[in-house]
Amino acid sequence: MFDNKNLSGVVGVTKSGLSAVSIRDVRKTYEGGVEALRGVSLELPAGRITALVGRSGCGKTTLLNMCGAMDFPTSGVVEVAGLVTTGLGDAALTGLRRNKIGFVFQFFQLLPTLTALENIELPLLLAGARNVRATARERLDWVGLPEKADALPWQLSGGQMQRIAIARALVHNPAILVADEPTGNLDTASGDLVLKLIRRAADEFGAAVVMATHSAEAAAIADTRVRMRDGLIESVE
Amino acid sequence: MKTLALARQFVLRPLRRDKLRTALTVLSIALGVAVVIAVDLAGDAATGSFQSSMTSLVGKVDYEVTANGGVDERIIANLTALPVNAKFAAVIEQHVTLAKAGSVTLFGVEQLVDPAVAVVSSDAADRFGWKVDDSIELRGRTFRIQKVITGQNVGWVAIDIAAAQQLFGTYGRLDRIEVTVDPGEDAAAVERLVRATVPAAYEVSSPGARSEENQRMLRAFRWNLRILSYISLLVGAFLIYNTIAVSVVRRRAEIGILRAIGVSARGVLAIFLGEAAMLGVIGSAAGIALGRLLASGLVGMISDTVNSIFITSAPGTVAVSWLSAAVAIATGTSVAVFSALIPALEASRVAPAEAMRRESREHQTRLHVRRDLVIAGAAAIAAIGLSQFGPIDGRPVLGYLATLCAVASAAMISPAFVSAVIRLLRAPLARIPGAAGLIAGRSLAASLARTSIVVTALATAISMMISVGIMVASFRETVQVWLESQLRADLYLRAAGQPSAGIFPPIADEVPGLIASTPGVGDVDTFHAFTFRYEGEQATFGAGVSDIVRRHSTLRFLSGDADSILRSLPGQDRVIVSEPFSNKHHVRVGDVLRIALGNQTAAFTVAGIYYDYSSDRGFVISDVGTLRKYLPKQPVTNIAVYVSPGADAQKVRRELDLRLANYAVSVAPNATLKRAAVEVFDRTFAVTWALEGIAIVVAMLGTANSLLALVLDRRREIGLIRYLGADDGQVRRMVLTEAALVGLLAAGLGLMLGAALSVELIYVINRQSFGWTIQFHPPLELLAGALLLVWIFTIAAGIYPAGIARKLQPVEAVHEE
Ligand SMILES: Nc1ncnc2c1ncn2[C@@H]1O[C@H](COP(=O)(O)OP(=O)(O)OP(=O)(O)O)[C@@H](O)[C@H]1O
Ligand SMILES: [Mg+2]
Repeated sequence: MFDNKNLSGVVGVTKSGLSAVSIRDVRKTYEGGVEALRGVSLELPAGRITALVGRSGCGKTTLLNMCGAMDFPTSGVVEVAGLVTTGLGDAALTGLRRNKIGFVFQFFQLLPTLTALENIELPLLLAGARNVRATARERLDWVGLPEKADALPWQLSGGQMQRIAIARALVHNPAILVADEPTGNLDTASGDLVLKLIRRAADEFGAAVVMATHSAEAAAIADTRVRMRDGLIESVE
Repeated sequence: MKTLALARQFVLRPLRRDKLRTALTVLSIALGVAVVIAVDLAGDAATGSFQSSMTSLVGKVDYEVTANGGVDERIIANLTALPVNAKFAAVIEQHVTLAKAGSVTLFGVEQLVDPAVAVVSSDAADRFGWKVDDSIELRGRTFRIQKVITGQNVGWVAIDIAAAQQLFGTYGRLDRIEVTVDPGEDAAAVERLVRATVPAAYEVSSPGARSEENQRMLRAFRWNLRILSYISLLVGAFLIYNTIAVSVVRRRAEIGILRAIGVSARGVLAIFLGEAAMLGVIGSAAGIALGRLLASGLVGMISDTVNSIFITSAPGTVAVSWLSAAVAIATGTSVAVFSALIPALEASRVAPAEAMRRESREHQTRLHVRRDLVIAGAAAIAAIGLSQFGPIDGRPVLGYLATLCAVASAAMISPAFVSAVIRLLRAPLARIPGAAGLIAGRSLAASLARTSIVVTALATAISMMISVGIMVASFRETVQVWLESQLRADLYLRAAGQPSAGIFPPIADEVPGLIASTPGVGDVDTFHAFTFRYEGEQATFGAGVSDIVRRHSTLRFLSGDADSILRSLPGQDRVIVSEPFSNKHHVRVGDVLRIALGNQTAAFTVAGIYYDYSSDRGFVISDVGTLRKYLPKQPVTNIAVYVSPGADAQKVRRELDLRLANYAVSVAPNATLKRAAVEVFDRTFAVTWALEGIAIVVAMLGTANSLLALVLDRRREIGLIRYLGADDGQVRRMVLTEAALVGLLAAGLGLMLGAALSVELIYVINRQSFGWTIQFHPPLELLAGALLLVWIFTIAAGIYPAGIARKLQPVEAVHEE
């Protein structure tokens, strides 16, 4: 269904086929000198949910961006879907995002001028896929909001917006789902709905889910909980 | 004081943060002001120098005595005999062409007794590289330069008056007598006595009057240029409005905080108006400098036009006065403040509670589409109504107002138009790959208020281009058709030298005879033209052989049968007048014109009104016999030669060249004359095109500016679509699609407005300004080409914002709150 030519012939393909994302001794120093990550290693297996927990500023978002190939380590290796991200050109990175990665954000980040269905279609449209409408509708049904197809974001509740965002993140069957505090802006009931969907994403789509969170409920659905502190992994359970 | 400190924080900081946008806004005001100032400066320079100053040679002049067809030389003896303490100086003023070097004003004066010497102005000396004791040739005779008069900004040559009369064959005739009253003498009494002495048909006036008269003749022309120059300022005004509106929308939350900490609504208003005023002052100041530069470029173009269709003058220097600088700053600043009024009021109405709102809702600028459409309808009706009235003081003031109403109407239609078109384009936009069309269309529709302002600004510039394009092309076509019918003779003769409006150098008396006796020559139509005054304005009096004109049917009349009109002229005090003359002086067929000719005042009945596009001064034409009755010595100035049937025109022309070699005449075949006429026409509209171009550039800057604002405001969205898999090219394409869409919308609206304005220009403004009928001939291919070009430029205006969008860091853009 998706065009994989962007990935062919790219350097850095390794044999660590088990993990969707493999992070090895990654350090990240921002321009101002802030050391956000100070030597982190982590494997994200397919079909499993990994929760990143820890105090604000400990480096969760930074790590998520690396898993999503949106940011790059100062040193160490990040391997996403078998590709070392630091070695990739723009085209390959775009290909990676189009085919392998889905994002969910704390503030939903729906395009305000597009309807719910159009928001879901967007990743497919950008990738130049076919059968866009049908696939998007399928995901809309999957998140349980078939009647909201033509609603604009401002006509939806926070929980509904986040469910649309999850549908959008999964519309292209990504191998990796990156979620940054997906329930951070929701009440408990909506949060639970969203968490159920994330659990199903791992179970039904086989996606490797990595989720940063401050909430115990969210951490509870994860298969693995990674506790971070000051740019380091404190414990894994 | 508090407000001032706040303003510094609140105005200067964002302006500095968005350096580029600030610069673009200032530049668009600067360009608008520059065009206005340049047109004025260049207009002044090009037309301000009719009064060829001879004061350093003859001293101060109090009065001058002039007459249509020239002053009788014998009058001067009568004047000198008057018992008054005043000096009377005879003057001849003609134009001479120097071999390949250009032309200068030639004065014949009494002060130079040596008939072989000349005195020249420093300007002429500089221009032609003359020094004292050089020899110069004027109409085939050689003069030695005796003196260069310094400090002259106009080119002239003065020679002895008798030598001048000889040179032009105008024996016994003067162009004017200058009267200088001695100190202590009663000037008014002198004037009374002079008036009593000269024939009643003569005029006694102050020297300034002539200059005023010339300025008056040019007022419509200059007003039209001026109005054209205001277009750029108007386009600039839309952009200021846009800039301030954007900054209000962007800073709603900040404004809310200000209000919450106790700044009054009026304080907020003052802050935003202050911002506009500052942009206005800086922009206008830059505009003055830019305008000064631009004026130097325009002065040549404008003086070309003035010389070819109005009156001969030499361009002066471009000078910015303190007054014009002050006016420019005041204009630019008030345009800026005025344009900012509505968004600033909007800002002052922001409730303190908005500080709490997390997501600033840009798209909520209140729109009242239906109410706006009603206003648009009213403005359109007003435009049509205003077009029904005549000129005021020779200017189509109401026509200009109608134009403004039409622009206002388009501005009011704009939001409805934009949303309707975007809705219509939904399907094709969705077909653009990679969602670029989808997102572009949606975001433009979402920020409708802003989009419609950019579209209106660009559409205004485009409509001017279109309407002026249609007007000029129609005019050109009309002139060409007219030339075909008017120019039927094979060869045309006139005195050698650059042809110029209002100047009719004489042809020697024996020339017509020489031509008639040349083998192969059929009819010879001699024409005697000279400038005369009618109701305080200059016009051209001409006399031709009406029989020949009739037989070759070269004239077309507004009404009546050409044949019988022309048959009624010979032997009668009857004339025909050109359409511009008839419109300017409200003359109808059957009216009687009183015209001073020589010593007498004649009463001519108007037999017909004919189409003419050669001069807006207007013509009055009699039969040559009628002219002779009043001015027996009026020289021939133009000759039209019809080659006899069967004769070879080429051969006749060669023969004439040979026979007339010593008479300083130029012989032009029909085709050459037509071509030259069209060239003059095209040159005339060069300024127009230059001004149009600038308005378009201002609009482009505005488009780039607005697209940039749109990009910066949607940082987060653009960052987001990168997360969702958009590549560099897709982001670029999205912004360029927006640019293309804005261009398309503007072209559509501009086309409609432009078509309406072209009708206004052709049937109201041009007619009232210059008095001629133009047939409607829209140049479709040209317009399509121009629109396409502007559209491409609009897309190009998106390149820079697209680059900025592409370089946005998605991680930062999405996470910034
Ligand atoms: N673009 C950046 N430039 C400089 N420093 C940054 C940047 N982004 C993050 N940081 C710093 O890096 C550290 C880690 O930030 P990060 O956003 O990863 O924390 P987090 O764990 O996601 O926090 P939170 O739970 O509040 O979202 C923080 O000290 C932060 O200030
Ligand atoms: Mg975070």
